Amino acid sequence: MMKPFDHVDANSAARAAALLGEGNQAAPSRPEDRPVRLIAGGTDLLTVMKDDIVSPQTLVNIKTVPDLDRIQFDVATGLHLGPLVSLTDLEHDTLINDRYTALAQAAHLSASPQLRNMATIGGNLLQQSRCWYYRGPFHCWLKGGDECYAREGENKYHAILDQGQCITVNPSDPAQALIAFDATLHILGPSAQRDLKVEQFFINPTPQRRALNQLDDDELITAITLPTPPPDTHSVYLKMMDRQTWGFALVSVAARITWDGDRIARADIIMGGVAPTPYRATIAEQEITGRSRSDLHSGLADRAAHKAMRDAHPLEHNAYKAPLGAALIKRALLAL
Amino acid sequence: MVKVLKTKIEIEGRVHEEVVVIDGELPAPWDSKAELTIVGQPVPRVDGAERVTGQARYTSDIQLPGLLHARILRSPHPHARIKYVDISAAEALPGVRAVICRDSTAPIKWHRSSFVFDSTLRYVGDEIAAVAADSLEIASDALRLIKVEYEVLPHITDEQHANDEASPPVWVDEPRNVIGGEPEVYKRGDVDKAFKDADFVVQATFRTPTALHNCLETHGSVAQWEGDNLTIWDSTQHIFGVRQRVAERLGLALNKVRVIKHYMGGGFGSKNGAGKYTVIAALLARKAGRPVKLMLNRMEENLVTGNRDSTVQHIAGAVKKDGTLLALKLVCYANSGAYGGGGMPIAGPVQEMYRCANVYTESWSLYTNLGRDSAFRAPGFVEGNFALESLMDMMAEKVKLDPLEFRKKNYAERAPKDNLPYSSKGLRQAYERGADIIGWHSRAWADRPAVDPKNPDIRRGYGMASQVWGGGGGPPAHAIIKVNADGTADVITGTQDIGTGTKTVLSQVAAEAMGFRFEDVRVHVGDTSLGVYAPLSAGSMTVPSMSPAVQMAALDVHKQLLAIAAEVLEVKSARLELKGSVISQGKGKKSITVKELIGGLSDYMVVGQGLRGPNDNSYAINTFGCQFAEVEVDTATGQVRVLRLVAIHESGRVINPMTITSQLYGGVTQGMGYGLMEHRVVDHRSGIVLNPNLTDYKIPTALDVPLEIVGEMIDLPDTIATTTGAKGIGEPPIVPTAPAIANAIYDACGVRVFQAPISPDVLLDALQRRDQPMVVEQPAAAELAPVSQKEE
Ligand SMILES: Cc1cc2nc3c(=O)[nH]c(=O)nc-3n(C[C@H](O)[C@H](O)[C@H](O)COP(=O)(O)OP(=O)(O)OC[C@H]3O[C@@H](n4cnc5c(N)ncnc54)[C@H](O)[C@@H]3O)c2cc1C
Ligand code: SF4
Repeated sequence: MMKPFDHVDANSAARAAALLGEGNQAAPSRPEDRPVRLIAGGTDLLTVMKDDIVSPQTLVNIKTVPDLDRIQFDVATGLHLGPLVSLTDLEHDTLINDRYTALAQAAHLSASPQLRNMATIGGNLLQQSRCWYYRGPFHCWLKGGDECYAREGENKYHAILDQGQCITVNPSDPAQALIAFDATLHILGPSAQRDLKVEQFFINPTPQRRALNQLDDDELITAITLPTPPPDTHSVYLKMMDRQTWGFALVSVAARITWDGDRIARADIIMGGVAPTPYRATIAEQEITGRSRSDLHSGLADRAAHKAMRDAHPLEHNAYKAPLGAALIKRALLAL
Repeated sequence: MVKVLKTKIEIEGRVHEEVVVIDGELPAPWDSKAELTIVGQPVPRVDGAERVTGQARYTSDIQLPGLLHARILRSPHPHARIKYVDISAAEALPGVRAVICRDSTAPIKWHRSSFVFDSTLRYVGDEIAAVAADSLEIASDALRLIKVEYEVLPHITDEQHANDEASPPVWVDEPRNVIGGEPEVYKRGDVDKAFKDADFVVQATFRTPTALHNCLETHGSVAQWEGDNLTIWDSTQHIFGVRQRVAERLGLALNKVRVIKHYMGGGFGSKNGAGKYTVIAALLARKAGRPVKLMLNRMEENLVTGNRDSTVQHIAGAVKKDGTLLALKLVCYANSGAYGGGGMPIAGPVQEMYRCANVYTESWSLYTNLGRDSAFRAPGFVEGNFALESLMDMMAEKVKLDPLEFRKKNYAERAPKDNLPYSSKGLRQAYERGADIIGWHSRAWADRPAVDPKNPDIRRGYGMASQVWGGGGGPPAHAIIKVNADGTADVITGTQDIGTGTKTVLSQVAAEAMGFRFEDVRVHVGDTSLGVYAPLSAGSMTVPSMSPAVQMAALDVHKQLLAIAAEVLEVKSARLELKGSVISQGKGKKSITVKELIGGLSDYMVVGQGLRGPNDNSYAINTFGCQFAEVEVDTATGQVRVLRLVAIHESGRVINPMTITSQLYGGVTQGMGYGLMEHRVVDHRSGIVLNPNLTDYKIPTALDVPLEIVGEMIDLPDTIATTTGAKGIGEPPIVPTAPAIANAIYDACGVRVFQAPISPDVLLDALQRRDQPMVVEQPAAAELAPVSQKEE
């Protein structure tokens, strides 16, 4: 059960950043030790607080900041998402369904309807690891300890690619779709603002920065923007779970193709559930770029999919992820 | 005239002997010709409105003046000795009203040589101390202030190694971690010879998971003292069992302890008696001088309240070319946890399901440093049936018989274990009906066509499995009925409605046997002070135990009312008939309602008494059924969808088609979860359960249940089993589901999975080996070796 904390309503993004800056000045060595944290929908934050993984002294509520829940679209500037846009809104927005299909699908396939009503896109990108050692009573490497318990332990949900000292996977579904659409995060700190591609935002944790992303202690996300996809762009999000709903991805794929007539002008294939960050299947993208639809349907999709999984390093319990990843890539490509 | 007899009854797959005292006339059975008007009708639940409007009060809803909230401090280590516990800081926290631990309470005996608060901790979750405070939050804060120093001991959690010489003993007096010191062995016939004579021998090793009950309402109690009288509201399947244990452990007379349970959110066998939490709630309430509520949270629910044991089962079958089953052999290992009783009847299906003259089973129950095993909806049989019914399909394929034909060929006409006739057996009818509904005989069996030509990864398949289980119930079980001055009746018994519809069904039986209108009857259960003794609501025994007792009490009322009416109407009682709450003498003659009759008697109260008579031990009393599954397997992703699940069961008379089919739906859903997704995961190095929650322990959602479930009963009044003709149905429908699905998966994609749950990762791993010929995992010779050693 949670420890007591203060709850402060912020009335502007700048105020929230200031509160973070003041409270987290001492720059704790572990991200888990930040004394001040933002709360949006609370669907992830409360779970880690209840499990004693983080115990902030102060929560800064950003739901009281006006206009952060807006969805705006303009062909010239693209899509603008406030960080408080809920997954339910993403899932149902017709424009997003039309132009950024994979994003709507990824939102739809996340969590459960109740959670999606509360869950915000900003909070979604900042979820803590779902590794059961991380969530359990283990002082594992990512939490500042010496050992990754999953490596030799129960790792059926863990990474098969880009394994570093931590082999967790990033739990977010929308992340893959955002990267496929080249999304940018707008980040505000107490004294500065910066923009970062979602793809760069996620990192493989390092000994110096044991975290899944680049957000600093005193920063918040104020917007997510996505350029307008060129005409004839199609996308899809496929996700495999242990059951039909209410499950994190075993493996997922966001695939986006921009066609130039019959040719693939541009391909983005981003996988979830296979690496500590969303994983770009570069090999498969290269394999298919410039090729024709009929190539895709006569064996190319399958070949590209299998090549994408060539570098996989399965552990004791997750060998299944490689064939599953290949199957999803192939299926995604053939759906476009 | 009073008679004292002995009778055998089966509870949860185990046979016990009970003494039964019979006073009064047992009812003449309702056979298939009996004209019944209320029994057999789909009567909606009498308490449906309370449940759906939130008025039903569950244990977790109980509010009392001055109620305190309690929490338990639990062991973080799988095995440790407590060096010291210091509760002083917790006691000093404002709002804390009582703290108890090993050093502050008199030792109360619990399992084996241990105590409620023991100095040795044997699994992550073992109780160390408990706090009662003004709020749950304060109680939680107080837990953090309790200082404990541990001496950490080596642990063992993996059943595959529990018995190794090098493994640490969970109990010092059981050095090899084998419950009872040795395996339980059963044999009949000459197994070795049969295996030599066989045309084919098929063997395999199956693994089944630890499954968690995950009751929607967690376990818990509310305890209140008034002087030295203790009242306990407990989320339990056995109020009298809770009373017995609490009285015994606290040294109280039985009539000082009152246990109440009106509504319950699930038990499935895990709430068969008092838990440590019950005793702890009572101790805290006594110390604080205020009532205490102690409900476990989800994590505790999943760590400490019992589970279905995981198993490793080496199984072998010997068949003749013509499909005659010659012999079955099973050596199985079950993980019973630290405080488990072991002895789950995993070998039950092998011993009892088919005609088979030669059987050898050897069952090992092993202690490990984990939460204990407990009954879980058909304990043992669910685990064992997964292996047996998978093996049956493997054997059928060997002898080139349709799986259903193969089963029919080895149909047991008499109970194979006891060599007794069955009181009734409707399995053959169930096979026919199920096969018809699913279209078994017209299915595309051999060529398994791709469903969608554009997507050859998707395959469809059919599979089936059978089930045998007890469920005959037995004595002691009592009921009384009071007829009120307005002609209504109160049926009072100490059974409990655990959510299955007991009150509804007993109302039907009482109204039918008394000759009352259904709406004139009200059933009261769930209170030991007011009710008369009734057995636990487990082992599918509530209806077969309670319905005859209520029937007898009702017939007693019926007889008394006719006798009174005869006096009042000045006719012979034999000429009177009581039906629909009206007493009539036949056509054209004066009739009188029960209300008029009783109303004229100045508050005279007719009281009827009834009890459950003995079982007829010259018969085997069983329930049967079979399930057919049609599945779709995505061979590229390992995803399995159950498209249709047809469940046909026989458990005697159907008293209420609505309540009985909801048992079928529930059993199928839980069985599907067991077969496809439920799995408690343990990190063996640390001894910690990794998924004691509902996020990572996956139960089926509404989207996962079969797209269509057809549940039907073969309605076959079994008057040898009970005088109402009914047997139990709570457990049977979970027994065949998982193997029926596994067999359908094999049919769909030609891959036999030797492990449950068949989750996508497991199926994908198996599919990677698809192109090799069907491999039967050969158990290492050493693993089946004890069989021949024992027999020499
Ligand atoms: C049972 C369960 C199943 C789930 N399944 C899925 C799934 O299948 N797929 C999936 O993608 N997700 C899943 N989720 C995660 C869910 O989508 C996230 O919890 C949710 O999106 C987080 O949003 P929130 O607003 O509730 O965040 P909060 O819990 O409020 O915050 C999460 C974190 O983000 C920080 N934060 C929030 N907003 C900002 C901001 N604007 N700037 C900077 N920091 C911020 C908070 O400080 C906190 O650290 C699941 C969650 C649960 C509980
Ligand atoms: S995978 Fe990462 S989060 Fe999980 S145990 Fe290893 S270090 Fe910790």
